[in-house]
Amino acid sequence: MTEPPQTAEPTPPPGGPAPASGATDPAAADPPPQSPGAVRRRASLVGAVVSALLVVAIVLGSRLLRDFDSALLPYAVATVFLAFGVAYRYTVWISAPGARRLFRKGWGSFFSVANFRSAPTALPRMIATYLGFQKFLGARSHARWAAHQLVFWGCLLAAAITFPLTWGWFTFTSSTGSGPGYEMRIWGFKVLGFDSLNIVGWLMFHGLDIAAVLVIPGAGYFLWRRMKDRGAITGQRFAYDLVPLLALIVISVTGLLLTFSSIFLHGGGYEFLAVLHMVSVVFTLIYIPFGKFFHIVQRPAAVGMQLFKYTSRRKDEGGEVFACRRCGQPVDTAPYVENLQGTMRDLDLGFADWAEYCPRCKRVLRGTAYLDHVKKGFK
Amino acid sequence: MMGRTIFIDPGRCIGCQACVSACRECDSHRGKSMIHLDYPDEGRSVASLPTVCMHCEDPVAPCAEVCPADAILVTPDGVVQQADTTRCIGCANCVNACPFGVPKIDLQAKLQMKCNLCYDRTAYGLAPMCATVCPTGALFYGTVEELRAERPGVQVADSFTFGTTTVSTGVAMVVPADKVQWPVPGGLPVVEINGKDVR
Repeated sequence: MTEPPQTAEPTPPPGGPAPASGATDPAAADPPPQSPGAVRRRASLVGAVVSALLVVAIVLGSRLLRDFDSALLPYAVATVFLAFGVAYRYTVWISAPGARRLFRKGWGSFFSVANFRSAPTALPRMIATYLGFQKFLGARSHARWAAHQLVFWGCLLAAAITFPLTWGWFTFTSSTGSGPGYEMRIWGFKVLGFDSLNIVGWLMFHGLDIAAVLVIPGAGYFLWRRMKDRGAITGQRFAYDLVPLLALIVISVTGLLLTFSSIFLHGGGYEFLAVLHMVSVVFTLIYIPFGKFFHIVQRPAAVGMQLFKYTSRRKDEGGEVFACRRCGQPVDTAPYVENLQGTMRDLDLGFADWAEYCPRCKRVLRGTAYLDHVKKGFK
Repeated sequence: MMGRTIFIDPGRCIGCQACVSACRECDSHRGKSMIHLDYPDEGRSVASLPTVCMHCEDPVAPCAEVCPADAILVTPDGVVQQADTTRCIGCANCVNACPFGVPKIDLQAKLQMKCNLCYDRTAYGLAPMCATVCPTGALFYGTVEELRAERPGVQVADSFTFGTTTVSTGVAMVVPADKVQWPVPGGLPVVEINGKDVR
């Protein structure tokens, strides 16, 4: 646990208050924040465009609906709503001052040729450790890390199979009608031929069962934790914290029961289970933009933030680390402090200069002011 | 100012660190203390200043406003919660924007943590851990009427100036009767650094 982020060697503390890095007002280069109405209109437009593009992609990818499976129509419709919701909320999110600046700095670092030349491995490494293996979760709790990995890889596998399948992009066809030889086609092009009776065939046809087996223990652990861990219980909300876990478990269990019904019950109860599974999946897809699952969409932006800080820190020979104006301890990188001050000015927080002091010095200076001007000697 | 809240009286603080130890026992951040105990004139005075989250009301929670991930929730009763673990990206915007220097960050865990007024306790009418153990009443939890019943005539202030900006808070500080008419100085503008006048 630290207060100021530990960065590279700081520059010597300057003699007195001055703008960070002596830069020009960062707010001046940024357009003024939009009104909520304008943001909503823009978000609706972006959502409509993205969902329309998805519909076009479904029609074209399924070879003008020839490969489209009408039994999966509710799933496909839900993904169109999902596309609208995600695009809408994403647009609203990145319109807020803090997120807008992060978004720009993140993508700026991402597309920077200079950054790529100086640290070509930084981005792939961050994507792997931050998004893939989620090392930061291990620092919070090993058990939560393990459970989240199960949920993450399970959901990723399920999404990689389900989405293209419901859009009619994947097809599995057999020239003999009932197999065992099958061909997997993407957009009509054959990519793989396999025997449904061997291990490859089993894996191909049970991918979603494997995903369910990964998700159930992971989501089950989190649900158990939500019932038992007093820290997790503090301030938890049913719709935000518990519904997503229940949804994942219902989807996974009903999905496995479909296989169970098919293998052991000769299809008994299959139709009911299929409807229950479909309803739970459709609900979850539509819920994604409005609840806890939105972190799936938000989290990649954090890589941009990390990259922005990392690449700024690498330039520290040029004095890129900003030191507290009082104690000289590093506050953060100078471009980061400048970016934060711009955000504070966007928000009309009139104490942006205060960001040039470390948290401890802010408290000590406030204590000194109280001591000097309010209650002398704390008597 | 919230109905039941913390009242800080630095004049009563003896720097015993009981609040720091008790804070570690809070369920929402077990093992990590979120209260700060600073010595503003270290070496020359024993004066100490406990700092909890002030739960800013106007502007509402600057930490939450600058958060790029919408991770900091303000509950309807005005309590500014610590970052949602799902959303926090560990950018430290809140740490460096907070005018009171309250939030902490764990850079490995990419997670901000801060005083949440012991929400697991205060939501059920119990006092926060720090106020429960404070032996001198430097941290008092209750309503202003309850405070005055114990300390007749005591005056409190819930607004602080930072340069030209005044921040109103949910947590209040005890001030002398003649100083209650104006906001408490927050330390900005800085007039002196390490003994050197920088005005």
